[in-house]
Amino acid sequence: MTHVNTVSFTVLVVLFVVVTFVGFAAARWRRAENLLHLNEWGLGGRGFGTFVSWFVLGGDLYTAYTFIAVPALVYGTGAAGFFALSYTIMVFPIVFVFAPRLWSVSRVHNYVTPADFVRGRYGSRGLALAVALTGILATMPYIALQLVGIQAVLTVMGVGANSSNTFIKDLPLLIAFVILAGYTFVSGLRAPALIAFFKDTLVYVAIIVAVIYIPIRLGGWGHIFNAAGTHLAKTNPKTGKPFGSLILPSAGEWAYATLALGSALALFMYPHAITGVFAARKRNVIRRNMALLPAYSLVLGLVALLGYMALAAPGVPALVKSHGANAQLSVPFLFQRMFPSWFAGVGFSAIVIGALVPAAIMSIAAANLFTRNIYVEFFNRGASAANQTRVSQFVSLLVKAGALAFVFALPKTFSINLQLLGGIWILQTFPSIVAGLYTRWFHRWALVLGWAAAMVFGTIAAYRVPTPGSPGSHFGGSTATVPLIGHTVYIAVTAFVINLAVTVVLTLIFRALRLPAGTDETQPEHYVADPEPATAAPVLAGATADSS
Amino acid sequence: MAHQSSPRRHLVAWAFVTILLIIGVAGTLVVPIYARSTPKLGDFPFFYWYQLLWVPLVAILSWICYLLVRSSDAGAASSAAGGPQAAAAPGTRPDDAGGAL
Repeated sequence: MTHVNTVSFTVLVVLFVVVTFVGFAAARWRRAENLLHLNEWGLGGRGFGTFVSWFVLGGDLYTAYTFIAVPALVYGTGAAGFFALSYTIMVFPIVFVFAPRLWSVSRVHNYVTPADFVRGRYGSRGLALAVALTGILATMPYIALQLVGIQAVLTVMGVGANSSNTFIKDLPLLIAFVILAGYTFVSGLRAPALIAFFKDTLVYVAIIVAVIYIPIRLGGWGHIFNAAGTHLAKTNPKTGKPFGSLILPSAGEWAYATLALGSALALFMYPHAITGVFAARKRNVIRRNMALLPAYSLVLGLVALLGYMALAAPGVPALVKSHGANAQLSVPFLFQRMFPSWFAGVGFSAIVIGALVPAAIMSIAAANLFTRNIYVEFFNRGASAANQTRVSQFVSLLVKAGALAFVFALPKTFSINLQLLGGIWILQTFPSIVAGLYTRWFHRWALVLGWAAAMVFGTIAAYRVPTPGSPGSHFGGSTATVPLIGHTVYIAVTAFVINLAVTVVLTLIFRALRLPAGTDETQPEHYVADPEPATAAPVLAGATADSS
Repeated sequence: MAHQSSPRRHLVAWAFVTILLIIGVAGTLVVPIYARSTPKLGDFPFFYWYQLLWVPLVAILSWICYLLVRSSDAGAASSAAGGPQAAAAPGTRPDDAGGAL
């Protein structure tokens, strides 16, 4: 039925080949004396200025989440999906406050991961292990979301989709995946950093053309909003209620606000986001970027509106419906129906490459966590810098395999739930990391127990959410009603409140009992320091393990 | 540096920054303010243009905060620069394009 459009497909393949070449060649960019060092492989030499950091962080934070998951949610539910815009608006003021402190203390002590900081601050291997494990776990569904995004594009293009053989069907995804793994392995953070220039150019071109050209073809924004509103008001046969609405109903306000706030607090707890921060050259590079990164939020807001355009575009809702009502396909189908083939190819490439860049950074960040805070800490205290880098390279492959497991195991009605599930987990490291930047008041064991309570609660609560319309299913959503206040709230936020309550109470008890607080290797001035960028070679190997 | 970094000036700057950043977060956190369709801007219901408007607003707020912090931070940072290890390796890495900013 669907046949592969040769023009679109050729454009995608050509752009993909270019990116692959750039990815492997990146090992030579800003060439290091020795790439076999985590500061080099994992953090690109810690020397990115404002301009490069803007691309790295933008390439890192705006992912298939932005291009596929958010418009899919808007397509399926309307206004409720716009919490993502509110989230990307409030994230930068929040991060502006604490990220420079985290950058400074990490530069002074040569920390590569957030768990390194926790280890140094609290003198607690257990707490650092908790932070590291959470980071690795939470990253996997986020990478899975990237793969779902790539899959959506390939499905719409008809690549492999006609085959009934599962292996052939998933072969294009596997090829993309293996190539991604290859250049990540070779070039480390330099690969996604360099590809990010290319990716963002494609993204901005595709989106600007889309939001100007498509509304003209569809008869204006008024028509788009009207048509979308009509569609959303129809009854969903699965739930017996309307699909959604153009304006948020008051019953959805709590969920909207907590999803936005919870996601904003969680974002810079993700190891890949922190990796982007650590790779910056100077302290003020981060602050400047908090003012410059909202340019991407504008893109996110416009991309979200593509969900409405898809509802209003003749033929697109029917196509989505005939493909298993998979809302993730709405934007790719919109591109296919509205654009000439060659430009649809550009749009598809923007989505695919826009998913590969963050997937690379995420796997690097998760691999660094494993190496620094599990391998070196518990298995090989004396590991050399080269040995650590080798381990990270291989673990970056394993992390991607773990992400594939999430793709196949979890329901994909709304792929945004993959990211929101990760958010439930990663937000629970916020007290250890962010509170730790300001105070040592919290007791390290109280932080561990608060984290544990919240992780158990959050996971069970998410497990119990069924997919709308199929009772008894699991992990179908990320919000649940909170008994005492009677509102629907993002589970991450509820778990976070539990986390804080447990931590505060236990801290009071543990301090009264005078349990050992652990040694703190940081000094107040380290949090505002702005040291010159260090060259990689003389820097200590395995600073946390050796500096005791 | 030569000029005195008065702690009071530092405090005032941070108070301003805190207020501006709270405004930036609250602007879209308080959903009932904007969960409505009117007044429309062109064909856009209020719910949409209000949030899109906050994108440039929050960028401007962050930039003002950056300028405020930069001036009050300069004193504090120069006295504290260089921890135990950073001092050991003076940087020689060439600037990238944006480094000159």
